[in-house]
Amino acid sequence: MFSRKEKEGPAFTANGLPIDRSIRIEKSQAARRAEVNRNLVAYSFIAPNFIGFAVFTLVPIVFAFALAFLNWNGNTEMTWAGLDNFKYIFTNEMFLASLKNTFVYTIGTVPLTLVVSLFLAIVLNQKVRGRNFFRTVSFFPYVGSLVAITAVWNMLFNPSMGPVNEILIRLGVENPPRWIADNDWAMFTIVLFSVWKYMGYYMVIYLAGLQGINSELYEAASIDGVNTWQKFWYVTLPQLKNTTFFILIMLTIQCFKVYDIVYMLAGAGSGALSEATTVLVYEIYNSAFRYWRLGVASAEALVLFAIVLVVTIVQFRLDKD
Amino acid sequence: MMIESTGQKVLKVLLYVFLIITAAIMLLPFLWMLSASLKQDRDVFTFPIQWIPAEPEWANYSRIWTQIPLLTYILNTVKLTIIVTLLQLFTSSFAAYAFSKLRFKGRNALFLGYIATIAVPWQAYMVPQFMMLRSMGLNNTHLAIIILQAFSAFGVFMMKQFYEGVPTELCEAARIDGMTEYGIYARIMLPLAKPALSTLTIFTFVNTWNDFLGPYIYLTRDQLKTIQLGLRSFIGQYSSEYGLIMAGSVVTMIPVIAVFLALQKYFVEGVASSGLKG
Amino acid sequence: MKKTLVALLVALMAMTSVFAAGGSEDTSADGTTTLTWAIWDYATTPYYDALINAYEAANPNVNVEVIDLGSADYQTALQIQLSGGGSEFDVVAVKDIPGYNNLVKAGLLVDLAPLAQADGLDTSAYGGIVEQVSVGDSFYELPFRSDFWVVFYNKDLFDAAGVPYPTNDMTFEEYDALARQMTSGSGSSKVYGAHYHTWRSAIQLFGILDGEHQITDGGDYSYLKPYYEMALAQQADGVVQDYATLKTSNIHYSGVFYNESVAMENMGSWFIATLIAQTKAGANDAENWGIVKYPHAEGVEPGTTLGTITALAIPSSTDKQDAAWDFVKFVCGEEGAKVLAGTGNFPALSNDEINDIIAATPGFPQDEQSKEALNVAQLYLEMPLHDKSAEIEVVLNEYHDQIMTGNMSVDDGLAEMGRRVDEVLAN
Repeated sequence: MFSRKEKEGPAFTANGLPIDRSIRIEKSQAARRAEVNRNLVAYSFIAPNFIGFAVFTLVPIVFAFALAFLNWNGNTEMTWAGLDNFKYIFTNEMFLASLKNTFVYTIGTVPLTLVVSLFLAIVLNQKVRGRNFFRTVSFFPYVGSLVAITAVWNMLFNPSMGPVNEILIRLGVENPPRWIADNDWAMFTIVLFSVWKYMGYYMVIYLAGLQGINSELYEAASIDGVNTWQKFWYVTLPQLKNTTFFILIMLTIQCFKVYDIVYMLAGAGSGALSEATTVLVYEIYNSAFRYWRLGVASAEALVLFAIVLVVTIVQFRLDKD
Repeated sequence: MMIESTGQKVLKVLLYVFLIITAAIMLLPFLWMLSASLKQDRDVFTFPIQWIPAEPEWANYSRIWTQIPLLTYILNTVKLTIIVTLLQLFTSSFAAYAFSKLRFKGRNALFLGYIATIAVPWQAYMVPQFMMLRSMGLNNTHLAIIILQAFSAFGVFMMKQFYEGVPTELCEAARIDGMTEYGIYARIMLPLAKPALSTLTIFTFVNTWNDFLGPYIYLTRDQLKTIQLGLRSFIGQYSSEYGLIMAGSVVTMIPVIAVFLALQKYFVEGVASSGLKG
Repeated sequence: MKKTLVALLVALMAMTSVFAAGGSEDTSADGTTTLTWAIWDYATTPYYDALINAYEAANPNVNVEVIDLGSADYQTALQIQLSGGGSEFDVVAVKDIPGYNNLVKAGLLVDLAPLAQADGLDTSAYGGIVEQVSVGDSFYELPFRSDFWVVFYNKDLFDAAGVPYPTNDMTFEEYDALARQMTSGSGSSKVYGAHYHTWRSAIQLFGILDGEHQITDGGDYSYLKPYYEMALAQQADGVVQDYATLKTSNIHYSGVFYNESVAMENMGSWFIATLIAQTKAGANDAENWGIVKYPHAEGVEPGTTLGTITALAIPSSTDKQDAAWDFVKFVCGEEGAKVLAGTGNFPALSNDEINDIIAATPGFPQDEQSKEALNVAQLYLEMPLHDKSAEIEVVLNEYHDQIMTGNMSVDDGLAEMGRRVDEVLAN
């Protein structure tokens, strides 16, 4: 089977990449047989991950989506709900507020994290003294236990006694913001925290991406006499396209699924998020594990899923162009 | 590029200023954590912040080992983390090869489906999943956690993106030389993907190490528990003993930092190790 | 199509429970029964072992094994384990009323009423608590601990200021005046007259002590206004610590008392056992402390206060119901009560004898007032049993936070609170 495939080598060259220079082939019978083979080989690559993923993740997810149309408390009999769960959530003001807040959070966090982490990666990819130290330090916030670092963060941004506000007062700010305690500043504080926590993580991905850039491209650019900025714009950025695409999608998904950061920062004290800070997954958590309305939780998750799917497809389309 | 102009020197100074400020912002909370871990509980949340404790409370570090079976928890976590990371590396890098370098029926749809499921929050399907695994007899087994963590779409996506940066010509040439797809994967792609593999290793390691909810639901027996469970139960039970909590947080962070340091040199050894210079 | 879908899912769930049922064994080869008991915070709670040892001594053929689910999300973890009927637990501790309500609604607990009736158990001995957790004629949990709120105070601070101690008969006006009188200093020598922890119970529930309102009723919450106004005024005048500061700096309610920065603090009676232990361990600087009854509104009997109960229940999935019931009766009954009181905790089965045991605990304040403060006149649950308690609790917490952080005025916050609770009730 493999020997035949080798003879038909060229049939395997296509890869569907935007930059690919694939060879178009005529579809003959041999090619069709080759296609079956090609599919089988490809499936054999995917199988180990896909089977585990399908059985243990996909099945429960499909089950959960079916639940969106049912009423269930996890134990007693399920009853048909039709679209009731959806009607309920779209008239529930906390859910609507959580939709809005999640969008605001995502729009605030994604571009900022993307830019900062890229900048950091480029700086730390250069031969600077103490590079390893700086890289390791930027990764700290991602690694630290959330309980500990949110405690510190809340301490630093304490409205009345925190060092951040102390500095602001010394700098002449008369009424420094009350950060997480103020509805108008809470989301901004959470975004700030998220950027801080995740920029080191995405910097690492960018760093790995930067290693994939062929140095000849830079040499060629140098011979053409372009400046640093042009090099960045015309060489680095296009070459990092795949990495940026990956980060963009992962970051967007991560932001839409934000929960524990918000809960630990804004929910401290009373244990409840207000209309100003509630996010989608908090509502899902409440529906599922505080109220045990699993159907409602599934409906909410389905809405989240649909949004992220649309955003992801749009991003995929943009990537293809 | 050889001769540094004054402008470049200024740039360099600015660069260092920026780096030092960034490092301080990144490090400050951890310095606080470290300092708090050496304080008596009552001094942890006092203002103004006292960065160097007057009488360091070293006992916090010895107490955490006796208050909970920390060693058992660490061994469990190490075991889980190593197995999950190896499985994740293998299955992801393997599957990603097909998604990136092979063309087959249903590729795009399958891939999109993979990615999209990342968007489903675990809270939404946790109950059905738990019931399923329990019916398979996996409640209170480490296997449950391994299964949950090892087959993620994240790794596949990440590896695929890195493979796409590898010139297709390399694969083509290998095919003409008579190499099978498996051979190309093993002998060409994997060695080239070192930066990506080490990145994935770190991420998987951190995720498994810091995972709380999975172990919380599936591991209720003490001898099976992981370090994050230990830390949280610690926080629950000694909620006022912040010095102790911070000491626990510091200890749990050390292995991850060690792995990061060990692997980070691979970030700079890639296809073309010269990269972007000054 | 929908019928097929429901049928399919039901079948799938049924299959799960079939699989799961095969798990546990009734008795082992040597005739001993093992009871698995779900609890939280095993390591820091001394009475679990004391109760188990006492029970095993009386029943040598029973072996009680504990599973610690942690305190933070105990009810969530418990209900996940019980869902679908496949759990290994024979007895479970129930932490709060919303959690209890969820378990009952999902049909996960055994009705204890017929069992109690068959054994002639006198439920009136629990001072009306059993009635408060009853659903119709059924009840699904039996309380073993019952805590109530009192005012803790630091005697040394009162002595130093030359102010007389608070008393067991204190109106809110007197309490407020006393708190203001006790406030002094600034910076590190600042003493706050009183202290409210961030929980809604600490302020909100002053309003229900007159017995005229149920916190779950929704509608008009303006009866809470005087208490929020009192607390906010105290906050503005530096008599109590700022809520936002407490919230964002994770300040534990015990720390402020230990380091002598508050003169009075309202808190649950569980804090008594902690204070005794921490004083012994040298972690508490406020060694000289006492308790008095909760302040009360004009015309309300002193000793009227809030209560929280901790109860035991039997999951319907257990196949050792009889053994489990026997254990529940022991822990919640006379024997269990004595064991609990011996560790400085308040059993649900309360009487003078039990109070004497607690007051005789070494480390308990020696003055008559503190002993007298243990006599509760009327107990209202922090959260009464209601079909929607979990949803209502979330709303109550949310607006408590909004009012206390100053994001909403008292009037607006309470109006919104009423509107949102009504919405929950209507759904």
